[in-house]
Amino acid sequence: MSTDSQLKELALHDISVRFGGLTALDNVSLRVAPGRIVGVIGPNGAGKTTLFNVICGFVQPTSGSLTLDGRPWRPRPHHLSRLGIARTLQGVGQFAGMTVLENVMVGARHRHAESEALAALERCGVDRYASAYPGALPYAIRKRIELARALVAKPRILMLDEPAGGLDADEIAWLGALIKATGTTVLLVEHHMDLVMSVCDEILVLDFGKPIALGSPEEISADPKVTEAYLGAAA
Amino acid sequence: MTTIESRPETATKAPPGAKRRRRVHPVIVIALGAVLVVALTYVLPPFRNYQLATVGAYFCVTAGLTVLTGLNGQLSLGHGALMATGAYTLALAQNRWESLPLSFALAVLVTTGVGAVIGLAAARLRGPYLAGLTLAVAIVVPSVTSTFDETFNSDQGLSVFLEPPPEQYPMEQWQAWLCWAAALVVVLLLALLVRGRFGRDLRAVRDDETAAKLAGINIARTQVLAFVVSAACAGVAGALFAYLAQSVSPGAFPLTLSLFLLMAIVIGGLGSLFGALWGALLLVVLPALSQSVGEQTGSQRLEGNLALIVFGVVLVVVMLAAPGGLASIPSRISRLIRRNR
Repeated sequence: MSTDSQLKELALHDISVRFGGLTALDNVSLRVAPGRIVGVIGPNGAGKTTLFNVICGFVQPTSGSLTLDGRPWRPRPHHLSRLGIARTLQGVGQFAGMTVLENVMVGARHRHAESEALAALERCGVDRYASAYPGALPYAIRKRIELARALVAKPRILMLDEPAGGLDADEIAWLGALIKATGTTVLLVEHHMDLVMSVCDEILVLDFGKPIALGSPEEISADPKVTEAYLGAAA
Repeated sequence: MTTIESRPETATKAPPGAKRRRRVHPVIVIALGAVLVVALTYVLPPFRNYQLATVGAYFCVTAGLTVLTGLNGQLSLGHGALMATGAYTLALAQNRWESLPLSFALAVLVTTGVGAVIGLAAARLRGPYLAGLTLAVAIVVPSVTSTFDETFNSDQGLSVFLEPPPEQYPMEQWQAWLCWAAALVVVLLLALLVRGRFGRDLRAVRDDETAAKLAGINIARTQVLAFVVSAACAGVAGALFAYLAQSVSPGAFPLTLSLFLLMAIVIGGLGSLFGALWGALLLVVLPALSQSVGEQTGSQRLEGNLALIVFGVVLVVVMLAAPGGLASIPSRISRLIRRNR
């Protein structure tokens, strides 16, 4: 493997997605280096989740390409886990008919599924709910279970889609610490600015599908285009 | 829904690393079942042994169907047709080669193949469309037998040539042994299959396809596999029915059979192999019961339709009293006791 490909574990090259007349993503490029925490932010409808869906293979880009470790890559959802990519879902996609432990075990792709799953639940502080059913649990707990299911696969790239949604300040602080401690590459879609600014090495800002800024948290918070996109030109 | 039943407060009280339910290994349950069945065959009169054999045959198909519908969420109205496939294959093979093990193997093999074809189509369909496809399969059986009447002999069906059992055993006892040997092997294989990763994958696909995909599960392959496994079980059951009746005809596999099978696993408890056993029992007991009631009233019209009514009433009553089916009653009772303590 060349050093170039190591520097770009995952890369998007001029990705565009059009749904009929709507342009959800417009020439978005992003290079994600190993171990980096990359945030994707933008107002509602900016195309953040669509970007995730392209990387996961749920949405085929209209144009553009992806590379993984420098090689051209066409993602398929059920191959991600094998490639070491785990993703959480925005609306906590859990298996209602299975216990919390079983839910996490589904994410474990190796032999000691049960002990690994328990360890993941413990890491997320929700191991006491192992034998409960997720539907009866509070939203914040289910978010943690979702996170445990992603972590149990021991991914090298962790994709988090609004993990802080519905969490209180303490829980967000806990989440930030956990994200920093994973040591893996993290792609983070999040509305909660404090979290994004505190954990991310790099931030991509989208507005109506267009990349309007890319840089460190300091650069992003000083960028007038970003303020404009969030507050509107007239504001 | 299980979500309503489970109570979070009991979960929150549990200490970290809370004790999890220890399950008895399926091999032990099956071995106990085998002992019980063999003992039963020595005390039951011949006709009851024949009924016991029929329960065993039904158990094969209900177990397979409950894995497909209960655990994987695929609704099949065509399992009666899959049973017919197994039955006709057994009849044709047996009349040609006169070797029961070979005929059984062929019956299972052919049904599995047919199941794979239906399963491939089924994996692309959801909900009512899947039900429609399998319904069509169930309806097509009589037409197939009459279209290819040289092979299947139309409505008359085929008789099955069988060697008599060893002299020291009565026919019915022998039948009960064979049917239950098959049933217990089928159920043991299913139990071993669904308790591990495959079982988790089945349920994950049923509950949330997107999340299942992200966990690395190939949805289509899991669904086709579930259908194939379930079809193989239906094939065993069909072959056993041909063996028990020593004949096959389209009349033995009507659409109502498929509906009865589905009702039976719902009453028994969807997704539970014990529930499948309850269902199989009801499939034999309820029609027999309604037939004797019908005979007493002397009305022929009632006699033919009473079973369906009885099944419907039982379904409604069980769903009201125990929405999880008969198999969920023990855990409901134990939960009730714990709550009142």
